[in-house]
Amino acid sequence: MREGEPIIRLKDIQYGPLQDINLNVYPGERVIVFGPSGSGKSTLLHLFNRLLDAEKGSISFYDQPYESYTIPKLRRKIGLVLQAPHLFPGTVLDNLKFGPSMVDEWKDKQGEELLEYVQLPSDYLHRSVDQLSGGEKQRVSLARTLANKPDVLLLDEPTSALDEQTTEDIEEVLSMLIDKHQITVIMVTHQLSQAKRLGDRGIYLEDGRIMEEGPLPDILEKPKTEELQSFLV
Amino acid sequence: MSPEISNQSLLFLIVFVLVPLSLSYYYQLGQNKDIIWSSIRGTVQLFLIGYALNYLFDLPPYIGIPFMISVMIIVASFHARKKGEGLPNVLWTILLGLIIIEVSVLSLWLVADMIEFTPSEVIPMSGMVIGNSMVAMGLALERMKSEFKENEGRLLAALSLGAEPKQASHIIVQRTLMASLIPNADKLKTVGLVQLPGMMTGLILGGVSPVMAIKYQLVISLSIFSAVSLSAIYITLVMYRYFFNKKMQLKQFSHQESS
Ligand SMILES: Nc1ncnc2c1ncn2[C@@H]1O[C@H](COP(=O)(O)OP(=O)(O)O)[C@@H](O)[C@H]1O
Ligand SMILES: [Mg+2]
Repeated sequence: MREGEPIIRLKDIQYGPLQDINLNVYPGERVIVFGPSGSGKSTLLHLFNRLLDAEKGSISFYDQPYESYTIPKLRRKIGLVLQAPHLFPGTVLDNLKFGPSMVDEWKDKQGEELLEYVQLPSDYLHRSVDQLSGGEKQRVSLARTLANKPDVLLLDEPTSALDEQTTEDIEEVLSMLIDKHQITVIMVTHQLSQAKRLGDRGIYLEDGRIMEEGPLPDILEKPKTEELQSFLV
Repeated sequence: MSPEISNQSLLFLIVFVLVPLSLSYYYQLGQNKDIIWSSIRGTVQLFLIGYALNYLFDLPPYIGIPFMISVMIIVASFHARKKGEGLPNVLWTILLGLIIIEVSVLSLWLVADMIEFTPSEVIPMSGMVIGNSMVAMGLALERMKSEFKENEGRLLAALSLGAEPKQASHIIVQRTLMASLIPNADKLKTVGLVQLPGMMTGLILGGVSPVMAIKYQLVISLSIFSAVSLSAIYITLVMYRYFFNKKMQLKQFSHQESS
């Protein structure tokens, strides 16, 4: 999985709860970040998307420091799907167009294509977002981020608010997407079974520190540190 | 022309104060002191203003008018600023906004020959415009703060998708404007039907014919409507940017994103 140079490199990052974060993410990898609530997982994703700036340390993307990219462009390339869908008022189409139309990259057929990725019928394009169920909103939120054609996809507990069936559906959507597009994924989840199904490397975060990392599912089956062992029981 | 109210007659107003006071006393609302204090304060304030206005009206217009308008704008700015606590440059922004609005409205009135440049016309009319603008700016500030808080998730979503602060806060600007325009448009719809506006009432009591009074009311109502709209749009367009830092990140006023 680890081919060549890292696509994102975090060096000695410190921000709020996060301490001494060193992490390389390689192209095409599916990294799963897990750990207790409040351990800094969302904060980490916000740093990746540059919704926050680290107090100390540096982040690089394709070997160039984050600061060398214009901020909106970087955020498009390293797309974030927030934990809750947070859709904009209006139609599904309005939401899907939001990112691309800011750089005049929206194409007419793109809406149908995006809905197909997330397995929603194309007549959903003109539905108001108020009429969508929780699972459908989450799909639209995912499609809205994909509309920017990111190189890296950040997912913050994409199924935490959903029931079991909807979770399975979304997982299916995600694994299809990942396989088809060879996109690099960094996903936060608290569902360990999901981590095993979707990830190939696990990062265990506790109190803002990376306590352990390793290939999935091994890291969950043979945890080395006491912290992870007690988290898993 | 105006019927005089004698000072003795005014004393009977104490009856009106006794009503809320006895209510507060009877139901133990604990407002007794406050009611007495606000009644006294209001009375003294009005008398002082009355004497001050008497004095100002006797001054040459080009001294009295600028002086009184400056006082009104400064007081209004300090008052409205409280609503923008926590945001930078609020006082200066409001002050500048009120000056711009007052100067433009007043110029239009004078150029179109709707009123004359005398203190007795310019000062009360300006007072209404400044007062309403002050309230509108305060409301817009409050509204904007609560919209930013309420829509934090959407703002983060917009920024994360590559929106610049201006694009990300578009919905918030829209909502803040709507919130300030709608009640004022509603007020215009019922003007005169439910309640005679204060100014018209005053003119009619002073002996002016109702149709004449309505003309003045029309001038002031529409002027206020436009001043209020201007105030809201001005405050929103100037202030939204202070919710972001230079790196297009949302400033943390209270740290709690959905964890
Ligand atoms: N700049 C900061 N300074 C101090 N504490 C912060 C800062 N940013 C976030 N936190 C706190 O760090 C904790 C971790 O937050 P979060 O990343 O949302 O955790 P998780 O997603 O793992 O549940 C939270 O308690 C949050 O309030
Ligand atoms: Mg979280």
